[in-house]
Amino acid sequence: MGTDVDDGYLVRRAQEGYVDAYAELVDRHGQLAYRVALRLLGNHQDAEDVAQEALVTAWQQLPRFKARSSFSTWLYQIVTRKTLNRITRSRPTESLDLLGDVSKAGEEPGQQTERNLTIDAVTDAVAALPPPQRIAIVLRHFEGLSNAEIARITGGTIPAVRSHLFRGRRTLSQTLEQWR
Amino acid sequence: MTDPGQPVDDIRQLLNGSTRHLACGADIDELLEQAADGHAGQLTEHQSHCAHCQAAFQEFSRVWEPVRLLAAEHVAVPATLKTAVASQIRKLIADVWYTFHLSDAGAISIAARVVATIAREAARTVPGVRAAFGRSAHNTTADPAEGAALRQHHPHAAAGVLGRTAVVDLAIAAEYGSQLEAIAREVQRRAIADLRAKAGLRDVTVNVTIDDVIT
Repeated sequence: MGTDVDDGYLVRRAQEGYVDAYAELVDRHGQLAYRVALRLLGNHQDAEDVAQEALVTAWQQLPRFKARSSFSTWLYQIVTRKTLNRITRSRPTESLDLLGDVSKAGEEPGQQTERNLTIDAVTDAVAALPPPQRIAIVLRHFEGLSNAEIARITGGTIPAVRSHLFRGRRTLSQTLEQWR
Repeated sequence: MTDPGQPVDDIRQLLNGSTRHLACGADIDELLEQAADGHAGQLTEHQSHCAHCQAAFQEFSRVWEPVRLLAAEHVAVPATLKTAVASQIRKLIADVWYTFHLSDAGAISIAARVVATIAREAARTVPGVRAAFGRSAHNTTADPAEGAALRQHHPHAAAGVLGRTAVVDLAIAAEYGSQLEAIAREVQRRAIADLRAKAGLRDVTVNVTIDDVIT
C-alpha cells in the first residue's frame, strides 16, 4: 500500500523510530538520489554506491534533521556532497556506460544507436565539467531546480550559482558543438 | 562584442569566453540561459525584432537539444538499491529478536521488524486508515539495561523481549471525518489477531496513536 501522507509526516515518524516510514521515504526519493548521482558521475555502479551511501547517511542523520528545508532538498545536499567526495577521491571514470538504459520502444536500431551516441556524448561532456559547474548544471537543467534552491543545496550564493551556470553552459555547448 | 551583421555561423567562437555580447548588445549568457531553459520561443520586444538574437537562439537551441534529450530520459533505479539500504539500516538499528521458542524440530525466531510489519499491514486493511507505520516498542518486562545499551548504540534501536510476547506501536494517519476511536479499536483487534495467527505470539499489546488526519 502506498501512502498519501506528506514527507514531513514520514520524517517525523522515521525520527521516532518507525523504520517503515523511512522505507517509504526511500521509495519516494531513492530515484532522486540515484538519478542525481548518475548525472554527476556518469557511471551506474558509482551512482548506485553513492545513492546507497547517501540514503543510509540520511537515516543516520535524521535525528538532527530540523525540517527547515524539505526532505528532498536535504537529500540533494547529501547526495551532492557524497558525489563531490567521490570525485575528489578518484579520477574521472573511464567507463560512461549509459547505453543499457536508453533504448526506446518502437525505435529502429539505427535510431537507437544515434540516440545512444548522443546521450553518451552529453554524459561525457557533463562529466568533464569542473565539479561546481557540473553540480549547478545537473541541478538546474536535469533536476529543474531554481538558482536559489541550488544555492541552498550547495551552501553557495545565488550569484555564484549563476556564474557556475554561465560557465558550465558555455563549456557544455562548445563541447557538444565540437562533437556534432 | 560581435561585429554588426556578423552571422552566427561558428557557435564555438561566440562562446569562447571573450565575447560577452551580440552586436545588438544582448548578453550571450542570458540568451543561452533562455534557450537552455526552453524559453527561446518567449521573445522579448527587442528579441522579436532582432535578427542577431533570433539567430543566436536558433543555434543555442540546436546545440542544447541533446542535453534536453538526456534530461528527459527516465532513469530506472536499480532494484537492489532499496534492499541494500534496508539491509544496512537493519544492521545500524541492532534489531533484536522479538520472539523465540523451541519446538521439537528446533528454534523459531521472528525479528522485531517482522512483528511490526505484520501489525502495520493489518492496520492498513482497516477502512479509514490512510497510512500506518509500525515499530516494536520497548517492553516493560525487557531488561532495561539491554534497552538502554541498544538506544545508546543507536537512537532508533528497538528493544524486545524473548519469548512469545510483543509490544507494538502503530502510528496511524486516518481519513478526516472517520470515527477515530472505532478505527483505533479495529486496528488493535486486527493487528493482535494477525500477530497471534501469523507469528504465534501469545501476549500482544498494540499501542495505537492516531497522529494525523488526511482530508
